[in-house]
Amino acid sequence: MPSIKLSVKLRSSFQARVACVLILLLLVVVGALYFSVKAATNSAIRSQAAEQLQLGTRVFERLLDVQSRRLSDGVQLLAADFGFRDAVASGDSATIRSVLINHGKRINATDMILLSMDGKVLASTLDETPEGSQFRYDHALREARRARQSTLIVPLQGQPHLLVEAPVLAPLPIARVVMGFSMDTAFARELRSLSNLEVSFLTVDMQQPGQLVSTQPPAMAQSLERLMLTNATKHIQELTEYEQHSFLSKTLMLASTADENDNQVIALLQSPLDAAMQAFAPLDQNILFIALISLLASLIGALLLARSVSQPVRALAQAAERIGQGDYQTPVPLKRSDELGLLATAFNSMQSGIAEREQQLAHNALHDGLTGLPNRALAMERLGSAISAGRPVALVYLEIDNLRAISEAGGPEAVDLMLQQVGQRLPTALRAGDTVAHLIGGEFLLLLHNTASDGAVATADKLQQLLLKPQRIAGHDVALDCRMGIAAFPEDGLAAEELLGRAAIAMKDAEQIPGRIQIYEQGRDLAHRRQVTLIRDLRHAAANGELLLHYQPKLDIRQGRVRQAEALLRWQHPQFGMVSPAEFIVLAERTGSIQILTQWVIEEGVRQLSEWNQRGLRLQLSLNISAEDLLGPDLTDRVSALLKHYRLPAEQLIFEITESAVMREPEQALKVLHRLRECGISLSVDDFGTGYSSLAHLKRLPVQELKIDQSFVRDLDETSEDAVIVRSTIEMSHNLGLKVVAEGVEYAHSLRLLERWHCDTAQGYLISRPLTAAAFEAWVALPLGSPSVMVH
Amino acid sequence: MARPTSLTGLFLFVACLLSSGLSVAAAFQAEIVDQDGKPLPNVVMTLQGDAPPPVFSLKADMDQRDKQYDPHVLAVHTGTQIRFPNSDNIRHQVYSFSTPKRFELRLYEGTPSDPVLFDKPGIVVLGCNIHDWMLGYVYVTDDPWFAVSDKKGLIRFDKLPAGRYHVTLWHPQVADMLPQPGGEIGVSATDLKQRFSLSIQPLSPDAPAAPAPSTFGDAFNKAVSETAK
Repeated sequence: MPSIKLSVKLRSSFQARVACVLILLLLVVVGALYFSVKAATNSAIRSQAAEQLQLGTRVFERLLDVQSRRLSDGVQLLAADFGFRDAVASGDSATIRSVLINHGKRINATDMILLSMDGKVLASTLDETPEGSQFRYDHALREARRARQSTLIVPLQGQPHLLVEAPVLAPLPIARVVMGFSMDTAFARELRSLSNLEVSFLTVDMQQPGQLVSTQPPAMAQSLERLMLTNATKHIQELTEYEQHSFLSKTLMLASTADENDNQVIALLQSPLDAAMQAFAPLDQNILFIALISLLASLIGALLLARSVSQPVRALAQAAERIGQGDYQTPVPLKRSDELGLLATAFNSMQSGIAEREQQLAHNALHDGLTGLPNRALAMERLGSAISAGRPVALVYLEIDNLRAISEAGGPEAVDLMLQQVGQRLPTALRAGDTVAHLIGGEFLLLLHNTASDGAVATADKLQQLLLKPQRIAGHDVALDCRMGIAAFPEDGLAAEELLGRAAIAMKDAEQIPGRIQIYEQGRDLAHRRQVTLIRDLRHAAANGELLLHYQPKLDIRQGRVRQAEALLRWQHPQFGMVSPAEFIVLAERTGSIQILTQWVIEEGVRQLSEWNQRGLRLQLSLNISAEDLLGPDLTDRVSALLKHYRLPAEQLIFEITESAVMREPEQALKVLHRLRECGISLSVDDFGTGYSSLAHLKRLPVQELKIDQSFVRDLDETSEDAVIVRSTIEMSHNLGLKVVAEGVEYAHSLRLLERWHCDTAQGYLISRPLTAAAFEAWVALPLGSPSVMVH
Repeated sequence: MARPTSLTGLFLFVACLLSSGLSVAAAFQAEIVDQDGKPLPNVVMTLQGDAPPPVFSLKADMDQRDKQYDPHVLAVHTGTQIRFPNSDNIRHQVYSFSTPKRFELRLYEGTPSDPVLFDKPGIVVLGCNIHDWMLGYVYVTDDPWFAVSDKKGLIRFDKLPAGRYHVTLWHPQVADMLPQPGGEIGVSATDLKQRFSLSIQPLSPDAPAAPAPSTFGDAFNKAVSETAK
């Protein structure tokens, strides 16, 4: 019985699976929640940042405008200053420059330029605008003025500048003063503080990017510059990221000219997302925390739940394994009111049910249903244990012989009743430790412990007497005939089966002896085995060419000639060599193989006769025919066909039939004999004197010959009782018109007696032992002497 | 504005009367139009000829009325002393950075005690330091005959001795504020009427204008810028 693997791996265990599924589900939920919240917050942050950027951009533009106007107003006021105008009107360039510097400082202008009305530089604090040259932004300034722009944003010396222009009135405009305000980091910071946006400025002058002004850390300068240059013309918002910081960025083109000056001032406004994200960080943390807590809780919950299921399941599995191993005593200790509790209760009742049935089965397996006695298996087991313990034990194999008679008298029920009674009575004659087993039908096996063969015989005798006492069964008084075979351990064998087999053989042998109790004889099982082999091989002996015929001459006493022979069957067994007919003919008759043999004998005899006929040797051949052959349906037809086939006259054949063969079914036998006789075949009664045939009966048979059994002939002398029988038989036969053959003639004086009593034919070792066909042919060819000569 | 013109005319007339004994005189009326043919006021016309110069006064007034110079354009002979009476009830600070005459009259009311001598020919632009839009022009010339066109763009010289004269024209809006030659005229015994065309430039956008009614925003801005200062 394969045991259940209880050490369930954690991976495949129910508990782990439940936990896994729950946790996976929760993970999915938490993940979905987290990502949806993340997406929502992200989009909220984005839109918030976008809004902030939009708002900031407006604020930025407004601030720039306000700043510009403030500067413009300042510059205009400054330009209206009488001293300033006076100085400018003086036309003295040194004075003009000094007043430019002086008044520029008042308004914190970084650059001051005085332009003539037609745009020529009159005075300048800038190196790049020498006096007398045309101011490069003159045109742009005029355009701005026309567009009523108060300021102009231009790149100047690589930095963005707010240029503010004001006319110098004296009182008519005589010049234009231009003041430049650098849009430096401080300016950008101011814008940032008001707009909440990161502000960066970049100029592109003659396609040469200037220095970046930014509120962002200098580390980001390069990427900011790149961003501004690529996005200068696109007025879009986009998400930009710099090492953990992300911004929503927007570029504004503050100034751009497409003329030869080709300058641009680009502003980059960036709404930082980090701050907004920071606001949502606690939410993220909370979600994570909640997720962790719920994961942990669900893990514990799942484990507890799974445990509450898997533990009882495990207990049930263990119980199932226990039951599988045959332990039906331990109940499943599960006190629960749920389905598992029900299952446990069912387990317990199943367990007791199985225990009960198994006990029943075990009993049935080891006991006979009818008598309740131990059966063969149990008996063998007990025998085996006795053998292994080395305890002497005697086996008594008992068979009731008259079972058939009881069955015919009282029916099968009577037999059953009888067997039950026997089952009850037998143990009463035994000691307590001994075993009575009912094997099958009328067969019982008794195991007598610490008993040798002699003791067993005594017990067997006692039992025999016990059974012989008549008992009343189904209205009949029945005395039981039984025979017993005894084998003992260790004398007769060392193995249980061997002992049983030998007891059985002894029991079979007991049939032959008067006391009907037989102790096993050494070697009996060998003989038995030889018998079995012979019985098996007999059926194929003819086909295998193992059979042959020997011929024993029959002497015509009166004429002193041999004109007859008896064909005797011989079997050359491949293993046992020559097997005696006395041995195998009995077996063949018992097992139904005799017809095969007889058929072969007839055919071979006919063939041999036909062969001899052709060579001029004309004989009459006796063949032995068994009762089975006689009662078979087609003997006559077959013989006729053979005779026809070999063109042999039927008169050359004599069929020898024993008395007993005829006696078994006289009518049928008689019919066959008549038909054979009609064919022309002579008939002879074999072994006369051993049966119970009466002369009256003999008279009815269509026989021509009578063979006196050799037991009467062998030791024949004048004074013996045999002489009377032989002599009277011969006389009687002659009176009935039958010829007489004496078998087993071994001594010359016997032959002389037979001759005197006018016996017709003699057969025996005195004349010749049975010979092979060739030897017989040679023997017949010898010059015939008198039988006495032959004897000597 | 008719009065100073007629006053000038009176001077001229007196001058003509003084010289009439010597030679023949006639009236000369000039009509001045712009490039579009519209009558152009405030045009200074000076004449230079061989005829003996008339007698002219070397005193003139440049009044300030309703925060404007009156007259807007004043033509004087070199060496004229001009007074700057103030007819407004607020103070003015007259100044000029013009090369022919740089001067400044500190904030004052009424008529200052001393007139200002304009001793060099040329154009002097007058301003007021506290009223940027106040503009006045003094055309200082060496020519003996000079007059300023009235609202209809007319200039009349009543007794102009016969002879040939070079005409010079000027207006605040002529190009580069440079006097333009007006050709020659010949004056005989009969009255002469001639039409002159002078192309002028549009007013400079830089020129200050009188403040418009102030909005709150401007006031605020001004306040902001003043605070910033």
